[in-house]
Amino acid sequence: MVNLEDLKKEAKMLLEEGKVKYIIGYERSTNGLMSVPAFIKNPKNVERLVWDPSCIYNLTRFLVDEKRRKAREKKPDTRPVGIVVKGCDSRAVVVLLQEKFINREDVYILGVSCEGTGVVDEKKLAEKLKGKRPDKIEFDEKDNFIITSNNEKIKIPAQEILAERCLECRASFPVIYDELLGEKVERKSGEPFKSLEKIESLAKEDRWAFWKEQLDRCIRCYACRSVCPMCYCDECVVDTISFAVTADTAAEEKAQKIKWVEKSPDSSENFVYHLVRAIHLAGRCIDCGECERVCPLDIPIRFLNKKLEKEAKELFDYDVGFDPEKPSLVSSFKDEDPEDFIR
Amino acid sequence: MEPNPYIPKLTKIIQIKEEVGGARPIKTFRTQFLNENGFSFRCGQCAMLSVFGKGESMISISSSPLVKDYLQFSILKMGRVTSSLHDLQEGDIIGVRGPYGNGFPIEKWKGKNLIFIGGGIGLAPIWSVLHTALGKKEDYGKISLIYGARTSKDIVFKEELEELRQKIKVHLSIDVEEPEWKEFVGFVPVNVLDKKPSPENAISVTCGPPIMIKFVIQNLKALGFKDEQIYTTVENKMKCGIGKCGRCNIGLHYVCQDGPVYSWAELKNLPQEY
Amino acid sequence: MEKILRKKSFPQWVKKLESYRIYAPTKNGDLWNYELINHSEDINLDYLNTVLSPKKIIFPQRETFLEFSTSNNGNPEIKEVLPEEDPSLVFGVRPCDAKALTLTDQVFGGDFDDLYYWRRRNQTVLVGLACPTPPSPNCFCLSVNGSPHSKEGLDILMSDLGDRYYVESLTEKGNKLLNLAKKLFEEPKAKDKKDLEKIQLASEKKIKRQIKETKKIPPKLKEMFDSPFWDEEAMSCIRCGICTYLCPTCHCFDISDEVLSSSPLEGKRVRTWDTCQFPDFTMHSSGHNPRPDKASRLRQRILHKFQYFVERYKNYQCTGCGRCISKCPVGIDIIEVLNKVRGYGT
Repeated sequence: MVNLEDLKKEAKMLLEEGKVKYIIGYERSTNGLMSVPAFIKNPKNVERLVWDPSCIYNLTRFLVDEKRRKAREKKPDTRPVGIVVKGCDSRAVVVLLQEKFINREDVYILGVSCEGTGVVDEKKLAEKLKGKRPDKIEFDEKDNFIITSNNEKIKIPAQEILAERCLECRASFPVIYDELLGEKVERKSGEPFKSLEKIESLAKEDRWAFWKEQLDRCIRCYACRSVCPMCYCDECVVDTISFAVTADTAAEEKAQKIKWVEKSPDSSENFVYHLVRAIHLAGRCIDCGECERVCPLDIPIRFLNKKLEKEAKELFDYDVGFDPEKPSLVSSFKDEDPEDFIR
Repeated sequence: MEPNPYIPKLTKIIQIKEEVGGARPIKTFRTQFLNENGFSFRCGQCAMLSVFGKGESMISISSSPLVKDYLQFSILKMGRVTSSLHDLQEGDIIGVRGPYGNGFPIEKWKGKNLIFIGGGIGLAPIWSVLHTALGKKEDYGKISLIYGARTSKDIVFKEELEELRQKIKVHLSIDVEEPEWKEFVGFVPVNVLDKKPSPENAISVTCGPPIMIKFVIQNLKALGFKDEQIYTTVENKMKCGIGKCGRCNIGLHYVCQDGPVYSWAELKNLPQEY
Repeated sequence: MEKILRKKSFPQWVKKLESYRIYAPTKNGDLWNYELINHSEDINLDYLNTVLSPKKIIFPQRETFLEFSTSNNGNPEIKEVLPEEDPSLVFGVRPCDAKALTLTDQVFGGDFDDLYYWRRRNQTVLVGLACPTPPSPNCFCLSVNGSPHSKEGLDILMSDLGDRYYVESLTEKGNKLLNLAKKLFEEPKAKDKKDLEKIQLASEKKIKRQIKETKKIPPKLKEMFDSPFWDEEAMSCIRCGICTYLCPTCHCFDISDEVLSSSPLEGKRVRTWDTCQFPDFTMHSSGHNPRPDKASRLRQRILHKFQYFVERYKNYQCTGCGRCISKCPVGIDIIEVLNKVRGYGT
């Protein structure tokens, strides 16, 4: 059982002793059913922290923000940032460490185990609750979630409202941590990559038609890119201006930046953006599912990344985000790597 | 048929002059509309220049409205659109739409002494209002120009500045010592303190890099100029030029419509976000 | 003109409107969005609110301004591309979305008329649907001079009275629509008017969220430009474009040249939606960025909506639809932010 008070105590101690700059955790939201990111600087405010199955966000993305903020400061505070991570989120931290985007000393990881359960999907929960606001969401240690709403206790089988990512969980407790709260309980998850079967079984033309219908809805808000911890490039394919520009950058260099994707939400541009992003995430995506959760038009983009995760596993036997010492997939090779594409 | 504000008029480049070479080149373009009806404008206004296939860029018109034969633009090579402008030849066709912006309130300055202070490419917007005042010299008091650039090679309108000396006082400066340079050495704001223009019945207009403007305004105030006597132009990224796309928004203003000309009295009340 | 339309007669009215292109909320999976309707039976007004507001019909996300090409003598040639003559009508417009269009009207008018916007605006009839209950738990139209049965910006307002609609036509365009099917409309009786009043009063009471004392916000925001408050609030912002793209009042756009062929030159100059929340929105070619961090961009969004727009156009640039609150990936809540602003420093 993860004791929320232990988490608050740990956070308070870290802040009081000045060991971390601030703590990234979860707190109650005002706008919906789920918890939202919290940034606690003052030890008194640790009371705001929560931990329950509504803590679905992947907070690792804010480590990228922290690095950008430090780069802008003249005399940056070099203390680490404290962050609360679940099993899946910790794999994202591992990828950032593998790619040397952050150093191990920059982050103090407060790992929390899901203890065999997972987080709930907001839409599925809202459908079951039919307008009632949840005051508390708990796991009953068996197979159900108990939702307390206005003193009424509602029992819902976990399978029915678990987030899609939890049904294919690969890390039910953090794989890297400075502190671990909760027991290391393995989750009995189903066959890996099973969710892809439906689309994979379609004929090529039907698959194209499926994705065309989905991606035509895209409004290019770039929420999928913005929420992904691994999309940290200063010179992204979709931006018309590179952020790596300084006062000394020559005009020719700026003029020659290729416009790979037009800003219009045309069918062809949307395809290029999403497919290029999926390929740039091959071997790096840990399937936290955030991209799909944030999409305002309900586009199932997680499948694109998951397909490439499957390819990474099948072709290169590569498991993403478990070992910070292991090199990243695209920057290493083994002699046994398949060569059937070389003719 | 109402005019469509987004459609540029086709314009021919009749003359290109290289003002400054090197890593930060500046070229001066003179253009003529293909159809007779161009537009009339006020000094300080800008136009959107189109290079079809590349994009548009908002450039201040550096010729005076008293000149009817052509429009003059002085352009520093900075990014995609300005680089493609620099690659063009005389006779090439571009698009021009405008005029946009509020222009200098030169009618209010009749009888006053005019002190123009420019740095680098900032001389281009000043050029228009300076020559308009010169065109009706009897309407204004003493006109003078304090202008500086990084090096002597970065000075724009070199020949015209020499001609100008015969009509008004011209004080030039460069940032760092150079052999053969006889005039002031140092930053433009320091030259302003050195030349001590009098605030008595005077208006001063300053354009240049943001950091230069900041210190010039500081030094002018130290010399006794009031906020209403100091004018400047603000630069901001612009796309539509007509106050709709939101890009140049500062406070309740759109710089493309309510600016780019501001007195310091007005500008200090806006959010300093430009 | 005030009339009653039996719900069962509604499809027959729609059949008479075949000369118009009809848009109505359509369900796709779990989401509603305005789509073109081909069959009158497909119109279902049993919905809450759409993800994207009807703004996208009048101010589409992508629009061609002009086409350029190279003529025979090697010089560029341009051709203006204006929206076609295409009378349209939109069913099921919520009062907040209609009021939002009156705000964008002020931006796209003024000294320069945006012909593309006005052509579509003038040929589109807006048929509104009042809200008996708030479509979203985050609705707050009452706090920003709106209401669940406001008529602002609409040509017709329909109110659901159970088995019938109370139909109020507010403009000539609206009258024309009713006159196309005169026989289907009845005169309202006293009971109809009483029922309408009851439902309208009840709908106002059901709106739970509010910004307290909205009038005090614009002057307070003016004082808070340099406050560290914005750094705190923007910590969780991930700089996507959801809040602004879904907002019915936001109007920022980009103009870019899309080249189909470089030699001979052929392409289009298009306008696309843009957002002040993207980091490159205000970035100059020199690399200087007046709003380089999330705090300044969040501050821009809030101040533009509740101070600058008020100073320029005398209206809040927000109609309380709640979309930005419901869909923000990290839960940044404009009502919370503004309530905090009101009490800041006290």
